[in-house]
Amino acid sequence: MSAGYRQQPNSSRKDGKRVAGKQVFPPPGSGGSRPVMKERDLDYIPKSVGGKEHQPAGSHIHDRIRTGTIVGKSLPLVDSNAKVTGQAWYGDDVRLPNESIGKILRSPHHYAKIKSIDTSKVEALPGVIAVATGADSPSSFGVLPVTKDEHAMAVEKVRHMGDLVACVSAVDEATAIEALGLFEIEWEILEPVFDPKKGLEDSDEPIHWRGKYHLSKTNVQKRVFQEFGDRSLVENPYSSSHGKWTMHGVHHGFTEPHAVVAHWDPNGRLQLYTPQQVPHYTHRALSTVLDVPMHQINVIRTFVGGGFGGKSDPFPHEMCAAILSRKSGRPVRITFDREEVYWINRGRHPSNIEVKMTADEEGRISGFDIDALIDGGGFASFGHVTSYYNGVLATAPYELGSFHYTGARVWTNKPASGAMRGHGAVNTRCAVEVGLDEMAEEMNVDPIDLRLANLLPPHSRTITGFRITSNGMREALERVRDGSDWENKFRKLPLGKGIGIGCGFFISGSGLPIHWDPNRFPHATVHIQVDMDGGVTVHTGAADIGQGSTTAVAQVVSEVLALPIEMIHVRSHESDTSPVDLGSYSSRVTFMNANAAIRAALEIRDKLLNAAWDILGYHPNTLVINDRRIYYKHDPAIGVSYLQALHKAQEDKGALISSGAYRSPPMGGVHKGAAAGLAPAYSFSAYVAEVDVDVELGLIKCTNVWAAHDCGKALNPLAVKGQIIGSCHMGLGQVLSEKMVYGRTGHLQNANLLDYKIPSIHEMPHVEPIIVESSDPEGPFGAKEAGEGPLLPILPAVVNAVYDAIGIRYNDLPLTPDIVYKGIEKKRKKLKLEDATELPNPRYTHGPKSIELQKLLKKRSEEHRKRDIARQTTEDTSAYVNGVLFGFDPNIPLEDQLEGWRMATEPDPEQLAELGLAGKAWLKKEQREMGGEN
Amino acid sequence: MLMPPFILHHPKSVNEACQIAADLIDQNQEFDWVSGGTDLLANYKWRINTKPNVISLSNIPGIDKISNLEIGCMARLSDLKGKSVHPIIAEAASKIASSLIRKSATLGGNLCLDTRCFWYNQSEDWRRSIDWCHKADCGTGADCRVIPNQNTLCVATYQGDLAPVLMVLGATVHLIGPNGERVMPLSDFYQLDGMKKNVLQKGEFLLKVTFPKESRQRIGSYQKLRVRDSWDFPEAGVAASWIEGDVKSIRLATTALESIPKDHTEEIEDLVNSKWNGKESIKSLAALIKKSVKPVNNTALPPNYRRSVVQVLVKRALSKINGDS
Amino acid sequence: MTPKAPSEIWSAEVNGEPVETLITSNAILLDVLRDQVGTLGVKRGCDLGTCGCCTVMIDGDARLSCLCLAGQVSGRDIVTVEGLSDGAHLAPIQTCFAEHGGSQCGFCTPGFLISAQALLTKNDSPTDEEISIAIEGNLCRCTGYQQIVDSIRAAAEIHRGEVEPAPPASDPHPNPHPEGPDEPSMPPGHAR
Repeated sequence: MSAGYRQQPNSSRKDGKRVAGKQVFPPPGSGGSRPVMKERDLDYIPKSVGGKEHQPAGSHIHDRIRTGTIVGKSLPLVDSNAKVTGQAWYGDDVRLPNESIGKILRSPHHYAKIKSIDTSKVEALPGVIAVATGADSPSSFGVLPVTKDEHAMAVEKVRHMGDLVACVSAVDEATAIEALGLFEIEWEILEPVFDPKKGLEDSDEPIHWRGKYHLSKTNVQKRVFQEFGDRSLVENPYSSSHGKWTMHGVHHGFTEPHAVVAHWDPNGRLQLYTPQQVPHYTHRALSTVLDVPMHQINVIRTFVGGGFGGKSDPFPHEMCAAILSRKSGRPVRITFDREEVYWINRGRHPSNIEVKMTADEEGRISGFDIDALIDGGGFASFGHVTSYYNGVLATAPYELGSFHYTGARVWTNKPASGAMRGHGAVNTRCAVEVGLDEMAEEMNVDPIDLRLANLLPPHSRTITGFRITSNGMREALERVRDGSDWENKFRKLPLGKGIGIGCGFFISGSGLPIHWDPNRFPHATVHIQVDMDGGVTVHTGAADIGQGSTTAVAQVVSEVLALPIEMIHVRSHESDTSPVDLGSYSSRVTFMNANAAIRAALEIRDKLLNAAWDILGYHPNTLVINDRRIYYKHDPAIGVSYLQALHKAQEDKGALISSGAYRSPPMGGVHKGAAAGLAPAYSFSAYVAEVDVDVELGLIKCTNVWAAHDCGKALNPLAVKGQIIGSCHMGLGQVLSEKMVYGRTGHLQNANLLDYKIPSIHEMPHVEPIIVESSDPEGPFGAKEAGEGPLLPILPAVVNAVYDAIGIRYNDLPLTPDIVYKGIEKKRKKLKLEDATELPNPRYTHGPKSIELQKLLKKRSEEHRKRDIARQTTEDTSAYVNGVLFGFDPNIPLEDQLEGWRMATEPDPEQLAELGLAGKAWLKKEQREMGGEN
Repeated sequence: MLMPPFILHHPKSVNEACQIAADLIDQNQEFDWVSGGTDLLANYKWRINTKPNVISLSNIPGIDKISNLEIGCMARLSDLKGKSVHPIIAEAASKIASSLIRKSATLGGNLCLDTRCFWYNQSEDWRRSIDWCHKADCGTGADCRVIPNQNTLCVATYQGDLAPVLMVLGATVHLIGPNGERVMPLSDFYQLDGMKKNVLQKGEFLLKVTFPKESRQRIGSYQKLRVRDSWDFPEAGVAASWIEGDVKSIRLATTALESIPKDHTEEIEDLVNSKWNGKESIKSLAALIKKSVKPVNNTALPPNYRRSVVQVLVKRALSKINGDS
Repeated sequence: MTPKAPSEIWSAEVNGEPVETLITSNAILLDVLRDQVGTLGVKRGCDLGTCGCCTVMIDGDARLSCLCLAGQVSGRDIVTVEGLSDGAHLAPIQTCFAEHGGSQCGFCTPGFLISAQALLTKNDSPTDEEISIAIEGNLCRCTGYQQIVDSIRAAAEIHRGEVEPAPPASDPHPNPHPEGPDEPSMPPGHAR
């Protein structure tokens, strides 16, 4: 009994008694590269459980499992050594024995029917191994079950230049390319549609046909109407703004081109290696297209060389490789060249967006009126969701008097648009934030104060019913204002220099999974296995695309078990061994997967603590788990090593196994489309950007960005900062230089990285990432997303800064020098100035009214500040719904309080005439209403 | 991307290079020269006007010399700096493409850069889908896509940065081929046609550039318009040089505005010889250059814009001269 | 069959090892390195000289292997990302990229590492501008470059001897099999 750990001589008191908590212990067990157990790092243990970590947003449910070892510390990504040594294996690095090379025949036409395909010459070419056409894959697929409109290869017609027609595999690339030239195809050329406005009209040959649900004979894929609130509020506004925007399409521009290796193994199972963000949907689609059960397919996610949404659809080339491999019995490798990457696209939708907004005398935002016509290209992809996101994700962080949205997505004969970082929210957000700036200018008030006085508090509901939990918007705004020295710069800088503000709001995981299922299947599942060696193997399907999801999982498991992170081994590549995770999209991985991992790890932790209880005789509630050792709270000298406890726990059972899952709670409204934009938590961000405009050339250079993002809790600040800075880079590309250029013939004219202008290091401003931690009650250790939201504010911040610099509002993105120059020249001529360097730049022109309003806004934001802190720290989750600012009782449904309150998802007939561009889609009837195709 | 098949020849001397060229001409075989390869190989990957033979100049010793009065064709752009290189050349060279490209690319290659056009710098499949273009018509006699209904002239844009700078320094080019050496002012080297580009005859290559002693007295500037400060070709470029204190010595040249770089020295002669009154004179010069250039719509930025801002570039290129006059 | 370019023996020193292989006359260095030498750490991003993922060191210069004829660099000394580390000892630039967030998805990383190493070999005290110019030919879509510059600055400190490099991860652990007590310590009377 007395053979316990001996105390360190120098840590005992003079009277020979032990000093609790001060002992340096000898090695607690194997694992980790530290020889002795580390003391508890109190800086990383929350105050609520006895540590020193500051908790401005109050305590969190996960506080009790914090061990201070990992969470909150800047750590290298766990797979970074593979990446820096060149050993990380991406799609094209998978080289299987006896491989063949696949190539895809692509459509040379924008829109055409395939009357016949003759493959005989292809098959006759020596070296050709297998040939496939649309006839080999009649089943359609698509990422969303409601819009399965894609085929592995064109079945009846091609819908854009570069659309897949056929494919071939051969002994080498040269032979495969030669074979592509031997297909004999008879085409019937059809009249293409490029302009999304034309897509709203009836056409002889709509690009897709949806039967009785088809909207007349148009190319409208999806239309949305939403109206909430009291429209009478907008009738006599004190201030208003109106922006009509044209935004070009942009592409993800990931550095790794798509690549896939398919191998139909001798046991008849398909092994498919692909750099996928969402391997699970590929898994489902493969099963559909190939007519084999899912368990006969093993989807192996390679390292992913960047995704940003561009690798989240199941792709036709993945099907092609599988079909070719099935035909030939040999592995098939298909690698895209850069041009093909642009043909498959899925980039941000080219958009025509109109935003009208109004404010009342008190500077309250009485209405948002948004109309978004988005160009979907040839296929639906994620477009159904994008159509909603363009409106509904603009309903926060502000409290609105009313909200009116019409959206339409049309098919055109261009490569398909899809999901891209900040999915659906980016373009409207830019228009909205610039509109707010315009109103602030009209009212002569500070745009930051205007925002601060109109924010929704924590634990509230947006006008369309989204449940907001944690909310760090206010802190983000205040910190960028103070960090950037805003008060001394805004409207005070010389001509050509400007400063601007923009905010953002984004989902942290989609509340409902894409595949509806009646059995409440979890969004994320994580398995943990701990064998006698003490190493912890974590199985997860979460797809690390460079954002560090593997690291996040390793971190939370390491934290819960108080083990060094090198003892956590994450296995996430194969669907055979990974439980289902819905993938890396909609910023869901950290929130959902880490929550699942925490649950699984807690189960293991309980088993270890119970084993320690068995040995020590102290109840788990009195035991502390810390760095490979479990000990008695009041006398740390009494304890067991992690391995001892583990081996005890394994008695008669062997390896410890656990499973944890996450599914978001039920929430949201019941109206049509209520699920779109619902999320278990939302991220908030505010950026201030400083620009330098060369007024003679029209060149804009962004010089500084203060970027505050509320990610709930930064599990790994290094990674969060990386996401913030990277988002700035991508957003800057869209606002300054990137666009997919379709020329007069409808051809994409810049399908390469020289002409598609992604910013180089010289275009990057200095970014000051500011992490705001609002500690989300449901997030893992309080964390929310940090991957997409940080992109939103940079666009409006730059556009607003350009206005501050030269006094010109631009509504065309990107702000290439020719666009900027045009605006400058127009203004110069209007003002009859000799030289652009004489342009006046905007200044405040205060009058008594505006000074009064400014004071009012300051006062209100100060009051709201107190309100927000109270709601957040005291966990006051009493009702607060959008509308309280306008004097309504949050406990009574709004429609019962106000006669004019409306909630509609279809326009009234009398509204039809006034609808905007996208709203025109509501002038058409569905086939079933027209008596066609019942 | 798959390379088209060709035979790479590695001559070890200028004579051997000329001999290989002569032999290939005798055999009626087509060929291209390659130095750094950063321009040619990209085009080859896109199957643009590929040839069955390529003669590499990289193994010929001694043709990469750099001195105040002479630069060899194989001098790498990254080496165009330091004492023995004129500061304007160094300035322009440092702005070409990216540091990685500059480690491979050469002076000769930059001067002989193929002209560029977004209807032309595309993959084979892409160009086939527009039924080719005049410059790479693949035997179809295709029309020009920039200015339709004319298939006599190619209007692809020359987007080299060094040519205008060398022009304003009065550079002379030395060409060599099976028929011996030819020497001419750089301004005469270019020929207004996006396809011909320059006066190189079959089998000739540009051996070196030499400078008059007078060039060492010259100071000046190169102004490059581009969207990104890396990778991008110039959308417009203006080089200016002058001898300190002597406005009559001003030389101006532009690039990226037409199929060839253009030496404007003769055009501006009257203006610089008349009474110089600082800013006003520069303004007139700028207006004259604007009138003289004729960009077309085949690069990233629209021609109207490029033409307008040439004035700004001229003004900036000459901004340091005001104090001198 | 497609007409083929004639074959020739190509030899070079790749990562310190002599390599001899048969290539076609038109071969591009990137293809030779990936498909024949097997250094798959050299990445193909755009294949046209913009992204810089294929950057390798040739005689100490960082160059684009996608726009380089293999025949033009035969006999030269080529270093790919695989050749940066000394056995298990990662080069400072490699550990710094990991520790400072210089690598996210990792696809552009090999190219950046080579560009940075080529710079640091010649200049262990680069200014920020020199760092920018050294990596201006490399495209990164994830990081926004800022943490890459941080990584290079940190590596320069190690090159200058101001900071100790980290030991390799494969070194023996300091105390992998501790001689702990056979039984846990516990107060008398509490055992169950």
